[in-house]
Amino acid sequence: MSRSTRSGNESRDRLLRKSNRLIAVLIPGALALFSAIALAAGPDGAPHWWAPGSGKVLPAYAVYANPDGHVGILNADGPVDTKGHPFFEPLGTNGRACVSCHQPADGMALSLGSIRQRWDETRGKDPIFAMIDGANCPNLPPDDPASHSLLLKRGLFRVALPWPPKDHAGNPIEPEFDIEVVRDPGGCNTDPQYGLTSSHPMISVYRRPRVVANLQYVTQTKFGAGPFVGKTGMPADRDPDTGKPLNMNMMADARFSTLKLQMADAAHNHLQFDKLTPEQMARIEAFERQVYSAQVDMGPGGSLIEEDGPPGLGPFNLRDGDKGVLGDNTTRWVIPMGDAWQKPKPGETPQERAMRESILRGQHIFHFRTFWIRNSMHLNTVGLGNPTKRTCATCHGMHMTGMDAVNGWMDIGTTNLPWAKEAPRNPWQTEDELMPLFKITCSRSVHPHPYYGRVIYTQDPGRALISGKCNDVGTIVMQQFRGLAARAPYFSNGSAQNLRELIDFYDRRYNIQFSEQEKVDLENFLSAL
Amino acid sequence: MRIALPIIAVSLAAGSIAQAREQAHLAFVACPIVQDTPTVPCWLAEYRGVTYYMGIQSDVSAEFNPPSLGHKVLVEGTITDREVCGATVIDPIKISIMPELSPECDEMRPVRKGIDLGFEPPRPPGPSNGRLAFSYPAPPPVPKPPYEPKTYVVPYDFEGMVGFRTPRVMTPALDYAQLSHAGTIEVKGYRGATLLSDGTLLKEHKGIAHERAEEIADMFRGAGLEKVKFLVTADEEAAEGGPENRRVEIKVVP
Repeated sequence: MSRSTRSGNESRDRLLRKSNRLIAVLIPGALALFSAIALAAGPDGAPHWWAPGSGKVLPAYAVYANPDGHVGILNADGPVDTKGHPFFEPLGTNGRACVSCHQPADGMALSLGSIRQRWDETRGKDPIFAMIDGANCPNLPPDDPASHSLLLKRGLFRVALPWPPKDHAGNPIEPEFDIEVVRDPGGCNTDPQYGLTSSHPMISVYRRPRVVANLQYVTQTKFGAGPFVGKTGMPADRDPDTGKPLNMNMMADARFSTLKLQMADAAHNHLQFDKLTPEQMARIEAFERQVYSAQVDMGPGGSLIEEDGPPGLGPFNLRDGDKGVLGDNTTRWVIPMGDAWQKPKPGETPQERAMRESILRGQHIFHFRTFWIRNSMHLNTVGLGNPTKRTCATCHGMHMTGMDAVNGWMDIGTTNLPWAKEAPRNPWQTEDELMPLFKITCSRSVHPHPYYGRVIYTQDPGRALISGKCNDVGTIVMQQFRGLAARAPYFSNGSAQNLRELIDFYDRRYNIQFSEQEKVDLENFLSAL
Repeated sequence: MRIALPIIAVSLAAGSIAQAREQAHLAFVACPIVQDTPTVPCWLAEYRGVTYYMGIQSDVSAEFNPPSLGHKVLVEGTITDREVCGATVIDPIKISIMPELSPECDEMRPVRKGIDLGFEPPRPPGPSNGRLAFSYPAPPPVPKPPYEPKTYVVPYDFEGMVGFRTPRVMTPALDYAQLSHAGTIEVKGYRGATLLSDGTLLKEHKGIAHERAEEIADMFRGAGLEKVKFLVTADEEAAEGGPENRRVEIKVVP
């Protein structure tokens, strides 16, 4: 089947009807609760952007259109009055709030489509384009699209990190490698004020905002969170409030592992705001811990959240699911489908039937299709052998989210050459490569990197900028799989513009040799999450 | 002569036993080979014209963790008369992935008729049959007072440092140190040397005993034992023997 079952622009009435139908099967007494539920996306082009300080109420359940159907945002604690709420108010000096980069319509992340739309609508004046990190470098001319090219083309914000790295107490860590700037299209890494040779040496890398939803899964400490990191043996981060070990699966480089530390960092570095009060932190954390995000329908491909639907799909199942469980793929599948959709249902359209069969096949591929996983740091080094014959679900093993079950930074080649996306040079090429490029030279005092040797070229050293470890170069903490259709592009560096490009990356990287049908099915499955 | 014969016979017998033992023990460095099967791959290595079976792909907590293409492997073990995947089984076996890159080690043998495991692997390549990647034995009972000094031994691969297996020893040692409010932890590192079957003595690099001991002490500090006094020592003599010489001893003194 083709991907023609994706929804196009649907009418608001149709979406309302669909929403009411879904509510009716989901929530007893749904009509009484209708005031708490809203169709918050405008399929006819009505604004879906949640502006900081708008003071609106975020309903208990809201659905928003995306290219594959709709994503649902579920507030398990009920409607959220955003007036005065620190997640939604522009507390900082640049007009941003947390919601600026964690938009409900984008599955509580930020899609490239939304970024471009905001540029067009505000002529680059929206706070998300603040020069601090919404530009390739703060000293570039504002309002010029070229200054914001990484945000406008890849959805990437600048993350400036000290070099050499510092531990949580602020003490410098002696890195196991030297770093050299090979290419710096944004100009920040070679800038005398912001770069590596400045008085406060910094390295700028460019990354996508992550999902602020389903965080009960992301921050769980029930499984895989011990005093030592399961993949490296090194000490794990501990919660400064409790002293207990954390799972370190939240940020791309795991530089902070609690919501409080992350929000304090974001307030300072993204909102240009001095300090959140304990009360503000508590309110933000309370909101973040109760919000769930997942795709709820596939447009003409049908609902994903009917009462007898798959137990792994939709935000309601996420709310009710077991948190902190490693999928065993017999009783607890990573993404369970149960007995749903095995047979045609009365009233099911051919498009719905076709999509559901495709999603089921995609789920099967995700769990069963073996391929050789090779030369991936912190996967092939943790006892499975190199190569190891396994499936997608091997690494993406966390029940309901497809995250890693233990501290999950891993190098699959998204930022390291030769696998990272690079514009090939030739005499006819008109577009320069967007991403910076660094040369890493590992010290003779440590073993060479087992797959790259002592010299590594990377667009983003990832975790290594925090740990200083040669073996961590290019390792990125894997993300949750939910609400994918709402938040393209993918990977930490936005190098996959859509899910097909993401699948193609894996196909190329691991020589999987997916058939066209397998790619379509896997894409539909991922879109349905 | 009647007396002498048995003595000679005894010494001949003793000699042949020693020779047999020597033959049974094997230590060599070679490229690992992946032999695919209809289920999980076997890991093989060739030495002096014989193909040996090292083990299979299983999961993180398995006793045998396979080596890596792109690197040579040090094999230390005992030859058996069993065969798996068409190769002679070495059991028990200890392998070490050699740190330097060896791109010539790149052989993957496809599935072939007649080459199979001959048993059901504990963990298939796809869905896990319920076996989790981390299925460690149940932890020992929590120690009760009075707390006595207790020793833990961290084993190492050849030239190895802390890795994914280290927490299996470190976590109980840390737990005991916290439980007993340890005032001192003695950490002593050792350096090993392996006599290969071809007569080559393979020594770990000088200084590794100290590096290991310091790394272990840092791990304890990083895991929260900031107030404990660490006595870090090292024995840099390369003790000739097996994997047991590559170790760090931790003595938790309450």
